[in-house]
Amino acid sequence: MAGSLLRALGSPRVLLALAMVLIIGVCAVFAHFLAPHDPAEQNLLSILTPPAWAPDGDPSFPLGTDSLGRDVLSRLIYGARTAMLVAVFASLGAMIIGTVLAHISGYFGGAVDWLIGRLVEVWMSFPPVILSLILMVGLGVGLDRVILAIVLVDWTRFCRVLRSEVLIVRRHDYVAAARLLGFSHWQTIVREVLPATLPLLITLFSLEMAIAVVVEAILSFVGLGVGPNQAAWGQMIADARQYVYQSPWNLLLPIFAIFFAVAAFNLLGDGLRRTLDVRLAETGH
Amino acid sequence: MLALEARDLTVSARIGEATVPAIRGLSFALAPGKILGLVGESGAGKTMIGRAIAQLLPAGFAITAGSLLFEGEDLLTMTAARRRALLGRAIAFIPQAPMTALNPVLTIGAQFDEHLSRLGLKSRKERRDRAVAVLTAARLPHADDLLTQYPHQLSGGMCQRVLIALAFAGNPRLIIADEPTTALDVTMHPPILRLVAEMQRQHGTAVIFITHDLRLAAQLCDDVIVMYAGRAVESGPARTVFAMPAHPYTRCLQLANPAMSAERRTLYVLPDQMPGLMQLAHIAGCHFAPRCPLVTAECRREEPAQIVVAPSHTAACIRAAATASICATGGEFNVPAASAAPLLRVENLSKHFITSRGPFSRAHNVAAVKDVSFTIAENEFVALVGESGSGKSTVAKLLVGLEQPSSGRIVFDGADLTAPSLRRRAWRAGSLQMVFQDPQSALNPRRRIASIVTQAMEAGSRPASMEERLKRTKELLAEVGLPADIAARLPGQLSGGQRQRVNIARALCRVPKVLVADEIVSGLDVSIQAQLLNLLARLRLELGFAMLFISHDLSVVRQLCSRVLVMYRGEIVEEGPVEKVFGNPQHPHTQALLSSVPPDEADKEWPLLQAN
Repeated sequence: MAGSLLRALGSPRVLLALAMVLIIGVCAVFAHFLAPHDPAEQNLLSILTPPAWAPDGDPSFPLGTDSLGRDVLSRLIYGARTAMLVAVFASLGAMIIGTVLAHISGYFGGAVDWLIGRLVEVWMSFPPVILSLILMVGLGVGLDRVILAIVLVDWTRFCRVLRSEVLIVRRHDYVAAARLLGFSHWQTIVREVLPATLPLLITLFSLEMAIAVVVEAILSFVGLGVGPNQAAWGQMIADARQYVYQSPWNLLLPIFAIFFAVAAFNLLGDGLRRTLDVRLAETGH
Repeated sequence: MLALEARDLTVSARIGEATVPAIRGLSFALAPGKILGLVGESGAGKTMIGRAIAQLLPAGFAITAGSLLFEGEDLLTMTAARRRALLGRAIAFIPQAPMTALNPVLTIGAQFDEHLSRLGLKSRKERRDRAVAVLTAARLPHADDLLTQYPHQLSGGMCQRVLIALAFAGNPRLIIADEPTTALDVTMHPPILRLVAEMQRQHGTAVIFITHDLRLAAQLCDDVIVMYAGRAVESGPARTVFAMPAHPYTRCLQLANPAMSAERRTLYVLPDQMPGLMQLAHIAGCHFAPRCPLVTAECRREEPAQIVVAPSHTAACIRAAATASICATGGEFNVPAASAAPLLRVENLSKHFITSRGPFSRAHNVAAVKDVSFTIAENEFVALVGESGSGKSTVAKLLVGLEQPSSGRIVFDGADLTAPSLRRRAWRAGSLQMVFQDPQSALNPRRRIASIVTQAMEAGSRPASMEERLKRTKELLAEVGLPADIAARLPGQLSGGQRQRVNIARALCRVPKVLVADEIVSGLDVSIQAQLLNLLARLRLELGFAMLFISHDLSVVRQLCSRVLVMYRGEIVEEGPVEKVFGNPQHPHTQALLSSVPPDEADKEWPLLQAN
């Protein structure tokens, strides 16, 4: 496992993705130091200023201001913090629920498997965006609520994919052998099955972060996201929509930020899949 | 004119920058109506020849020298269109795995129709009549109905008959049969082989028969070529070659094969294994020299030429005259006396499986094991034989507790194992262990060998310390004859034989009293099989354990076990001491199993092959 992770670092795809993730990560962690202004600070005397390089630009607002005179660059940087918080914690939560249920389902089979399988099917028959909107209406706005909503919607993604992987691993004789050597079910799952599903787990986690970024942007766009006090890319798009002809930059910049983040996570997921997935490695693709 | 002639055929593989020959300077001549056997262990290059004829070599392999003449025409230089015209018509193939060789979504009729229209049969009725005729000739009853069926509706043996019928449908002049019975049950071997032989006689077809089974080759083939590491080491008339082998490798293989009629003896063990393509380049002189018991300094100097030992019998060995002197050392086969008191008693054991395709379909109750009773004494090796689907593996799983019995009792050392209890499970793990069939699947590819063999010490609430485990690893590896330095390796870095030893070592970690071994030597080469059989016999003397040895190979059973249970459709139909049961089988199924083994001696007739 450690060896294949090291090997993954040798792939240019993974390295590029990691560099992109690092940029977003640094913005998120060091938003306090990086942002030139408070993201909520309104400067009503200079609203909708174009970026600094444009003819009317103001050097103290490098990427211009929005309709309330807030600094766009600062809002982008703080938006990265929101996006990363949601991406990491929502994916982590969805992963834990999905992975636990997938391993129980695939390992024990029988009635447990049937029950979890049907639960996943019913859950997945709701359109994910609608489901998360309904959840947000019920839960109210806020960062923790966004994370909770994404976890509740997306755990099925992990559960379904991982269950089929567990089924494959379960069929190997070494899992039966572990039981015969006196391993408990818990030991068998953690020491024999989980290490085999881990590469897929890591890949799915990375892809889920991309999905979480998009969902958070959608929720913030319709005003059911992290709330008006916190900067979020979706909210920036919603605000800029009305002034798209006066200042197109306000709309394009957060869209680019979302694109950049999603591309980074997808690239990472794809790169990890290529290096960690044993079956792909064996067939030589 | 010869049906097929190879002249100095050389197939090379590109590995990285280097080019390594996989087949070197192979020459043979196959006359029409004759059967040529290609014999050898896996990796010898047998299959490569069939692939070279079809120009279907694996990626990286290419024919680099020589010629391959089919009725005087060189298959290697002819146009692709001409070759296509020959393949499937004048040259046909019988594949190794019949179940996967037929298209699962087409009926047998559709597959015949397609093949026969390629052969030029214009009208639909003509094609149908021909299909029925060849299927009937292949001894398949109700050929009409068969044409409307799909491959999954047929058994493996029937699929192979269909494929043989397909191969012979175009009256080919050459057939390449690559291990046509290996994937089938033992009882299916004689009828399939007889069918190939009959069809071959009727049509006067030349056959290249690829096999690893020396006894079978001796019975079926006119001429044989024994291959080792890509080179023909011995060739000649089948009966002569096996009656008086001139190459040490042929002789060693024979001695490594457990006998069916002669007295039991320690098997001859060829050290190591056949060198892989990468190692070949580093062996100077004769490639068999590192394993050869007759090796001299001269052998390592240059590769030996083919020496004529008798008319049309050649061997690539300078010490051919001394080959007959090789014999198995170790003398008599020691079998400790089994005590009379049973250690494990199985009483009226039954297992039903309920199969259903979901909550809305009717459940079927399938009895896999029906009312099975037997005992195993301390130190006793008991064999469980039968064809696939007879319930052998289910019995194994019931014994070790991977399945729960529907009824019946398993009494081990006075305790009833079928009563569920946590403490009993831990105790059972220490005294009853299983060795799995496929070491590829039985060893976790992510664990190091040291961690695998001492995995039992990891179980429970108080796992052993690292030092204790490493110490035990050393002992276990020494016991199963593996070098200590593989402890840090992963299973993927070991050979098949080494993996099976690790598999055995893991089961021995807590010194069990009973070992359940499910087909642990099937799928291994003869020389590796001999190593493992001798190992098990030695371990029994050293450690003292009883074993339930599940196998379909009767010669292996005879070599290792003192008592045999014959299973047929979930029931034990015959049991007793091996000598007695094999000498005078009572149940028809036991008789069928026994008669499907070719005789030890090359010059003895195999009645099943000759019949009608």
